[in-house]
Amino acid sequence: MFKNLITESTAKSPWLFHINSGSCNGCDIELVAVLTPRYDAERFGFKLAGSPRHADIVVVSGPLTQQSLPRTLRAISQVPEPRCIVTIGSCPQSGNVFKGSYSVMAPLSKYVHVDVAVAGCTPKPEAIMDGLVQATEILKEKRKAWLEAKKNGLKDGPKAETEQEVPAAEDVPASGEEVQQ
Amino acid sequence: MTNLLSYTHFPVYSIMVLFLGAFLVVIAGKSKALRHIFAICAVTASLACLIALIKPVMIDGEVIAYWMGAREPAGGYAIGIALEVDALSLFFGLLIATAVFVSCCYSITYMRFDENVSQYYTLFLMLSGGVIGLVLSGDLFNMFIMVEILTFAAVALTAFRNKAHGALEAAFKYLVVGCIGSTCILAGTIMLYAQARTLNFAQLSAFIPGNFNTSTIIAFALLYIGFSTKAFIVPFHPLAADAHGAAPASISVLISGVLTKSGIYGIIRLTYFLFQSMALGKMQFLLVFIGSVSMFVCVTMALAQHDFKRLLAFHSISQIGYVLTACGLCTALGISAGLYHAMNHTLFKGLLFLAAGAVLQQTGTTDLNKLGGLSKRMPHTTVLFLIGAFSISGIPPFNGFASKWMVYQATYQKAVESGNIGFLFATIIALITSVLTLASFVKVSQSVFFGQLPEEYKDVKEVPFGMRFAMGIFAVLCIVTGLFRELVTHYLTEPAARAVFDVGKYINSMLGDGYASAVMGANAPVRTEVVFDMAGTWQPIHWLLLLCILLLAITLVALLGRYDTVSENKAALAEGKFDIFFGGEKSVPSQVGGGDLFWGFKHNWRHYFSFMHDLHSGIVNDYALWAVVALALAMLYMLIVL
Amino acid sequence: MAIVYSSLVYLGYILIFPGFLFCFVAGMLITGIDRKIVAKMQKRVGPPILQPMYDFFKLMGKETIIPAAANKTVFLAAPIVGLAAMVVIQLFIPVISTPILYGTADLIVILYLLLIPALAEIYGGSASGSPYAGVGLSREMVTIIACELPLVLIFLSVAKTVGNAMGTGLCFSLSDIAAYQAANGSLMLKASMIPAAIAMLLVIPGETGNHPFDAAEAETEICEGMLAEYSGAPLGIYKLTHAIKTFTLTALFVALFLGGIGTGIVLLDALIEFAICVVLTIIFISLVHAVTARLKIEQLFKYYWTAVSTIALISLVLAWFGM
Repeated sequence: MFKNLITESTAKSPWLFHINSGSCNGCDIELVAVLTPRYDAERFGFKLAGSPRHADIVVVSGPLTQQSLPRTLRAISQVPEPRCIVTIGSCPQSGNVFKGSYSVMAPLSKYVHVDVAVAGCTPKPEAIMDGLVQATEILKEKRKAWLEAKKNGLKDGPKAETEQEVPAAEDVPASGEEVQQ
Repeated sequence: MTNLLSYTHFPVYSIMVLFLGAFLVVIAGKSKALRHIFAICAVTASLACLIALIKPVMIDGEVIAYWMGAREPAGGYAIGIALEVDALSLFFGLLIATAVFVSCCYSITYMRFDENVSQYYTLFLMLSGGVIGLVLSGDLFNMFIMVEILTFAAVALTAFRNKAHGALEAAFKYLVVGCIGSTCILAGTIMLYAQARTLNFAQLSAFIPGNFNTSTIIAFALLYIGFSTKAFIVPFHPLAADAHGAAPASISVLISGVLTKSGIYGIIRLTYFLFQSMALGKMQFLLVFIGSVSMFVCVTMALAQHDFKRLLAFHSISQIGYVLTACGLCTALGISAGLYHAMNHTLFKGLLFLAAGAVLQQTGTTDLNKLGGLSKRMPHTTVLFLIGAFSISGIPPFNGFASKWMVYQATYQKAVESGNIGFLFATIIALITSVLTLASFVKVSQSVFFGQLPEEYKDVKEVPFGMRFAMGIFAVLCIVTGLFRELVTHYLTEPAARAVFDVGKYINSMLGDGYASAVMGANAPVRTEVVFDMAGTWQPIHWLLLLCILLLAITLVALLGRYDTVSENKAALAEGKFDIFFGGEKSVPSQVGGGDLFWGFKHNWRHYFSFMHDLHSGIVNDYALWAVVALALAMLYMLIVL
Repeated sequence: MAIVYSSLVYLGYILIFPGFLFCFVAGMLITGIDRKIVAKMQKRVGPPILQPMYDFFKLMGKETIIPAAANKTVFLAAPIVGLAAMVVIQLFIPVISTPILYGTADLIVILYLLLIPALAEIYGGSASGSPYAGVGLSREMVTIIACELPLVLIFLSVAKTVGNAMGTGLCFSLSDIAAYQAANGSLMLKASMIPAAIAMLLVIPGETGNHPFDAAEAETEICEGMLAEYSGAPLGIYKLTHAIKTFTLTALFVALFLGGIGTGIVLLDALIEFAICVVLTIIFISLVHAVTARLKIEQLFKYYWTAVSTIALISLVLAWFGM
């Protein structure tokens, strides 16, 4: 009973941790707009957490500058499992207008598994909200997968996905489900 | 000659073995084992003698009057040297002997790297013998002699590690002000002798209360100030900080747990027995006022410290403030509470000083801004320290709470009964002081034992078993006296409180039945029953039972869930996952130091703190001046009041 | 048989009512209502009332990371001790005017027992090794000091008033206070107790660390302070302790000042108590939360030691002169 309750709750109480990896601040204020009375993300249980240790969903905005990349990855690795990674805006997906710059390391999916990518420059709050709600479903799936793995005898759950091999820079498609504006 | 093994001889044995031990240690010379055996045997024998006295004195309520060489009083004058042990003396004697015993156990491992250890043990035993002699003595001049012995032994021990920074300076300050105190006691003794032509305590107690004149009152003031310097109460508190900071930890235990108690003992004897003036509201006011000021001033001074041992030193005086306040109430509950707290103070403060000594030995510093994270390297010391810290901050169910709770009840009941709103402020100050004490021990635990471990202390080890054992004794006593409050009050503090209110018996057992009423006539002290009601209830064991059941239940539920499947840094997992979150930066050792931890509080009190900072100049001339001014004020006050 | 029965009843008190389970449900509901009401005041839809429950169970299912710098034992034990200590307090507080377990702890003990959950949080944070926790615990401790003075004054004036009326001069016993109120009507009706009641209501948000007084856990500033390194089940337990604390303090207010209004039937009383607690929470926690901005720690301290303490002191002075 408690296992089901926990699985259900996982989707109903996603806490966000927002990382700005060199964003122009456009996506950031749209994320804040999601929390305002007009859109009110709290009705789905969303809450901005102060520390990555509390978070379920990591929201990344910005084109991953050279300076911010290791910090972003470190903060992501500090988020406990099960976790979801959502990128906001085109920058973390492709580099957007900064693509090709010597100091821009986008896309994020080269380094970690991205669950949901919300495209747009900047995406509308509705789109962000849609992406976040989809992420909650993925969280629930991950929890179920973990339970399944535990049943099959893996004590620590499925292998963490963060240590996947880093593919070559060129041939990385933007992974995850894209949400069109 | 009576049987030498009769318990009437035990008081003198308990003093004698310590002084004997002091000489034997010197004879033992370079033999380390022999020296330790002598020292341990002496303190154990002394403790055993006093424990054997619990039955006759505490339970049967006997008062042992012992004349050295059987020189009993002749012609109405007590010329011989006398020891007199009532429940009050024995209570303090037991405290002191326990602290001395534990401190001696600790010293064996703690002092193993020092030079001239045989001198250390000699002085140590002289100091212990001096204090036990002081509390068991039935004679004012002997008290003075013991005060001198203990003061000089304490000064020498303060400067024992004289290569350490500040040790000589601290010893010098202590010497100067300590001598002023001793001189006051001597002068007071002389003036009383000139008036009463006797030095025997019981005889003086019978003579003085009916014969107040200017010289006896001035003698009172002199003696009061003399014992105040021994108890380090305001305005003598700065000395304590220096002395504790510089002395080895095992000696700090004695200075804080033993010397201050001897001062408190002196003040109780002086006010309740010699002058029998505590029925006066103005005398109660004096003690409660000084006690409350000591409490508050010293706890705020402690908050401003960034050295572990100096911080403990100020807390020591703050706790003595509780004792003095409660003892100054002149109610049965007050005395019981005060003595209870005195006992607890010896236990928890001893424990804390020993923990500080352990930290000092393993890391070489007691600076709160440099230390951190030692709980991972010294887990046992941390647990023992936490027991001491919770006890002193009055967290239930440890002993500090039991006695503080009684102090609050006592002060508030006194306020209600006497209708004097001043005592109400004592209650409020006591309660606030308690939470400030908690604050500064949170500061110590954060900046010494928790937080992050600095690089240079990566290889620190746990202290040897001998030191942990000594701390363990104190820790167990802290828990036991906290849980069994009723037993402690019944067997220890109530008999002592009864003794305080039974001056007539004290006089009569020394000088023969009927002496008090013959000399004092209608003014002869009347025995008052020690009965008190509590306005509230506190059952530590019941509470603990509830807590344990709940802990068990929650832990079970938690373990059935996922609480046990935690991720630890076992293998090299994802980089940075087990680092401290630092805004994404690579985790660097960063410790929030203890220097100015509670600035939100200090900011609002900044004028007070800067005033205090300027006042405590650290110059010995100033402190000597304070002593003189305090003496003048005390004389003036007592001349007006009495 | 009788022993088995009575110990089962005793266990029932501890684990079900008014102990653990009751505290759990009541605390969670009160926090949920608080969040909903704040949302309504800000013209939002707000989370469902059961949201704290979802949060709690979600956290139970998350991974618990122990930082490399942390002291594992203290880090994991502190939340459990804090929660247990919090629930024990609830057992001593009479349900309106029916004491459940009496003869164990009085008002002064409650004052100290309230420190234990806060201390557990402080030591847990301290053991995590995070510098954010260092700042957080400093602020938490100052908050405790700030709230202590008004609480002391309030408790002393209650003790004096009840003592005066009962002829003993002073009374710290919670069950006596409850009995007095059941016989003579609520203390709230006495002129001298009104300032104390107001001060107590002002202390509650500070003591629970609610919004304008949450400098210790400022999540936008110092990453929730002492909780910065906590994740998973221990974090959930801390959140639960917070929720119960809100309920406990409001219940303490009810027991101290609104004692006379009970019906005598314990379960019904518990419902009434819960209803009053909800109303108090809405007015003195949610409303204040919705309309104020966070205070700095020195402002917080000043507010409690001047404004609130003065109100409480008025009550003490009035009680002293027997009004």
